[in-house]
Parts: sequence; structure tokens; C-alpha cells
Amino acid sequence: MKLNYRYTLAYAALTFCVLSLGFAIVYAALSRSVTQVTIGELENLNALAVRQLRNGAATVPDSLRLYVQASPVAATDTARRRRTVQVRPEWDAALQARVAVVRLTTYPVVSGRPYRVTSRAAVVEPRDAYLTGLVLVFAWTFVFLLALVVILSELISWRILRPFNATLHGIQQFALGQPHAIELPDTRTAEFRELNEFLVKMTARAQSDYRGLQEFSENASHELQTPIATIKAKLELLMDSELTEKQLGTLTTMHDELERLAKINHALTLLAKLEHFEPAPDTLADLSQLVPATEAAFADLAEMKGLATTQRIAPGVRVPLDASLAQLLLNNLFSNAIRHNVPGGEIRVELSATGLLLANTGLAPSVPVSELFGRFKKGNSALDSIGIGLAIVKRISELFGHRVSYEYAAGWHRIRLDFTESALVTD
Amino acid sequence: MKILLVEDHAELARSIASYLGQEHYICEVAGTFDEAREKLALFSYDVVLLDIMLPDGNGISLLKLLRKEGIESSVLIISAQNALDFKLTGLSEGADDYITKPFPLPELHARIKAIMRRRSAHKNNVLTFQDITADLESMECRVKGKLLNLTRKETNLLLYFINNKGRMLTRQAIAAHLWGDYTDNLDSVDFVYQHVKNLRKKITDAGGKDYISTVYGFGYKLSAPDQ
Repeated sequence: MKLNYRYTLAYAALTFCVLSLGFAIVYAALSRSVTQVTIGELENLNALAVRQLRNGAATVPDSLRLYVQASPVAATDTARRRRTVQVRPEWDAALQARVAVVRLTTYPVVSGRPYRVTSRAAVVEPRDAYLTGLVLVFAWTFVFLLALVVILSELISWRILRPFNATLHGIQQFALGQPHAIELPDTRTAEFRELNEFLVKMTARAQSDYRGLQEFSENASHELQTPIATIKAKLELLMDSELTEKQLGTLTTMHDELERLAKINHALTLLAKLEHFEPAPDTLADLSQLVPATEAAFADLAEMKGLATTQRIAPGVRVPLDASLAQLLLNNLFSNAIRHNVPGGEIRVELSATGLLLANTGLAPSVPVSELFGRFKKGNSALDSIGIGLAIVKRISELFGHRVSYEYAAGWHRIRLDFTESALVTD
Repeated sequence: MKILLVEDHAELARSIASYLGQEHYICEVAGTFDEAREKLALFSYDVVLLDIMLPDGNGISLLKLLRKEGIESSVLIISAQNALDFKLTGLSEGADDYITKPFPLPELHARIKAIMRRRSAHKNNVLTFQDITADLESMECRVKGKLLNLTRKETNLLLYFINNKGRMLTRQAIAAHLWGDYTDNLDSVDFVYQHVKNLRKKITDAGGKDYISTVYGFGYKLSAPDQ
């Protein structure tokens, strides 16, 4: 959920509470004032009746009788000499409804005789008539407020959070291996400025650490080449001298292990090289020509393993790839397809304008297929591979924005290369 | 044939020189840029084996200097850079070939031979070993005058054997020679075995002797029966 939505939501809840409280207060006040006003009117009425009694009328005039009754009471009845107000719902014959009725009883003394004067009036309570109106007023107020908040929060957060969003964008664009520092826009907001400063400092340190590590591994594997070459040359010279079978066996083992070391080292140097390889723009590789050529180069190897290869090559597929890297990628894919195959198995190659699919029969990999793109991950530890081919494939694909995926199902390994959509060229 | 080896790593230089000496080359070693330049100015060499990383300079600038001064030696670059560097940056421009460290010594030998052959195309174009002859022009191989029906890889293999006759060749060296960059990720053993088996069969079928012997667990060797 976006930050300003959270704000809006919290504000809406708050507004709702405040408005509900306001509504309750208004309702109570209204209800009370209506009763008070009625009581005031009834007091006037009682006073009028008392005035007429004082003027000598025996009782309340007819015109008032419906609302006021007066009767003399016993002088001893002192307990009731106070004014009382009663509010209770009653059936009102005139309104034909049950309404709240207010009764005011006073005990005036007229000509030395105590009277009891009771007046009554039906009150239209806000509950009945005003409630809907009140609710509507408050509901509309709430809706307008909410709409205003939503619009304003969008506007304000767009403005206030703009540097923050720009920072987010900057982080998303940032890659550890990129040659330049992270780019964050200037801002006047103190917190954002602090955040940006922190980010710039942190990424700079990460980049320099990363570069150091890169350089180290690149130099290390590069520097190893010459000693390896020397040992290899010495071993080969030694092998050509007079040796017993046992000595030759030992030398052979050493030579094989050295070969392996050389291959690992070679692959690591290559990966390090690819790590900060900047592809030249607009390089295109003609896969329609490269794929069959690579297949042909591997044909004798496939044949020796008794593998049947079928190809479906769309013509004129040219994708952004350096030609030698494309060759390297295809070499790795084809040699994997042959290596991890079963005797008498199949290889299927499909090249279309959108992607390259290389499928081969083979045993199920022993680790999850997604891990096979990692370095030194092997689907089958029994094979004498170094397990770095797919990491190279992945790196090369990433360099040019292609997506590579690998799945295994029903005895088939499928490696799919989805070409980047940005620069598909077909003719 | 005279070779100048420009390599700053003394041990490696000594090994290569000793190997090339066994192959009857005259091999001189220069350990630095200056030494190499001096030697090139004073003597003439058929082939210069050039390491790129030198303590006092870059092999590539030596190569440029060489070409500028019109020195006709062939140049084979020996480098710790990987093959991709050459392909991506055109590092080997002006050189006749390049080989990346570490390499099998027989491969180096085969490359030198190939360069020499290219330079003197009109001269000796037929390789012979006992009763086997290989015409490098037409790529035809014969046993006792009888044409062998070899595939391209098998021809290549036979030439490699003849060029390195009397030497043990490891399976890896053979694989590297036959498949080059393609072998990096392959179990080469079986494939080499198959090709060697086919080659031996074709030679014996044509009435030739089986000159190729297997050194178990190690590789193969082409040698005359009396050797």
C-alpha cells in the first residue's frame, strides 16, 4: 500500500470518529433544546391560566382546556408544591401517533387557595424528523472531506515525496557492477537529504569493495595462468622421459588434475571478464547462421554418443549479441546438451524470432534446476564437469538483456533463451 | 629453424625452449622487452613466440614495432589472456596466430609448424612418416600409396600425430587440438578414443602398420615399430 494511501486511510478513520462524535453532540443538543423550548412555552401557558384564575374564572377557559387543566388541591398537600416536568411517550389522538409528550405541573396559589395547573404538549423530537437530515448532512460532509483528502494527499505526496520516489528509482537503477556512482537528485527535505547522503556513501563503499574483489579474482586467476602453464610444460617434458608405469600413472593423474584446475581458472577468468564487459551498442549476431554452424561443429561428438539431433531454424534471426560471445554461449549449451544426455538420446533445437530452445533427453538433475545457473553447481556430480557453463550462459544472456530459463520435465531438459524485446530484428 | 621466445617467466621459458630444442629448433629466449628488441635488431628469426605481459613493456607494442620495421618473422602470441580477449579486442592483430596459457607443448609445436607451412606454401607440402604420406595441399593421406578415406577430424588427428611423432600425446592435448574452444566443457576422453580407434582401423585396413600405441590412462603415441 502506498504511503499516502495509508495516510488517507488513517485520516478517514479519524474524520469518521470526529464526525460521529459531532453528530452525537449535535443530536443531543438539538433534542435538549427542543424540550427546553417546549417547557418554556408550557410555562407561559400555565402563567396565562393562573392569570385567568386570578381574574375570577372558576376554571381554565375552554379554549385552553385541551392543553391546560387546573384544579384546586388540598392545602395540606405540600409535598407536591414544586414544579414538575415530565417527558414520556404517549398516544396522541390528534396526531394519531405515539409521540413524546411534555407535561408541566405547577402549584400556584390563587386567592389563598392552592391549585394544581398541568399543561401538556406533544413534542416532535429530532429522532423522528431531524435524524435523517442530520445523518445526511454528516454523511455528505464526510464524503466531501474524504474526497478532498484523497485529492490533496495525491497532490501533496506527489510534491513532497517526489525526491523520495526519485531516490527509489535511483536505487532500482543501481547495479553494483556499474562503472559510475549512484545518481540521486538534490532535495531540500532534511530527512531525504540525509537518506540520499547515506545511500551515496554506502553504495560507493559497496562498489569499491566489489571492484576490489573483482580485481582480486581477475588478477588471481590471470596470474595463475603462467604457473599452471609452467607446471603443465614441465609435466609434459617429464612424461616424455624414461618412466616406469607407476611413475607415468602418477604423472597422468597430476596432469589430469592440472587440466581441471586450468579449466576452472579459465572459466573464472572468463566470468570475471564478462562481469565488467561493456557490450558495444548495435552488435547483432546472426543466430540463423550461428546455430546450425555450431550444431555442425558438434555433430561428430553427438554422433559418437548416438544422439539424434533435430533442428528447426527460422531464417534471418539476428539478435543483440557479440558474435564471439554468442559462439561461446552456443558452445556451452550444445556441449551441455551432449554431455548430460543419455546414450541414444535426442537433441532438439528450435530457433524462432522470439527465442532459442535447446531441449535434450537426460537424467533428472539432482539439485533444483534454478540452482544450476550458479557457479560450481552440477546437476549430476558423477560427471567430470566443473559446473560453470550455465553461469557463463546466464551472464552472457544478461549482458544483452535476454532471459534464460531452464526446466526439466518428463525426461527432457529444456533451456530457453527469450530474446530481449527491445531490438528484435528479423528480415 | 630459429625461434625467439619472448617470455618473462624464466621457468616456463626454459621448459618451452627445452621442448623446442628436442624438436630440433634453435630457440633463443628473451626475458624482457628491451632484450627482445635488441635480439630482433641483431638477428633474424623465423618465428617469434611473444608473451604479451612483459615486465618492461607490452608484447603488442613489440609486435607493432616489428611490423613497422619490416621484420618478416612470423609471430605467435603466447598469452595468459583468454581466447575471448583476442576475439573481443582484436588483440592478435598483426600476429600469425595466438595460443592461450596453459597450452600443451605439442599444440605449440603444431601451431609453429602450421605457421611455417603457411609461410613457405610452395616448398615441402608433403608430410611423411614411415609408409604414411599426407599432402597438406589436398589434405589427402595415403598408406603405401593407397588413399585413405578420412574425415576432416581424422586427417587433422593424423597430421597432429605425424607432427609430434615419437611423443606421447595426452587425450586433452588431442582434444584441444581437434575441437579447440569447443572442448572446454566436454569429456574429451571418449571422443578422442573414438577418433583414434577409427583412424587406426582405417590405416590397418589400408594395409598399413598400426603405428599408434595406447599409453593406458594417459594418451597415445605415434612411433615406428623399431623405436
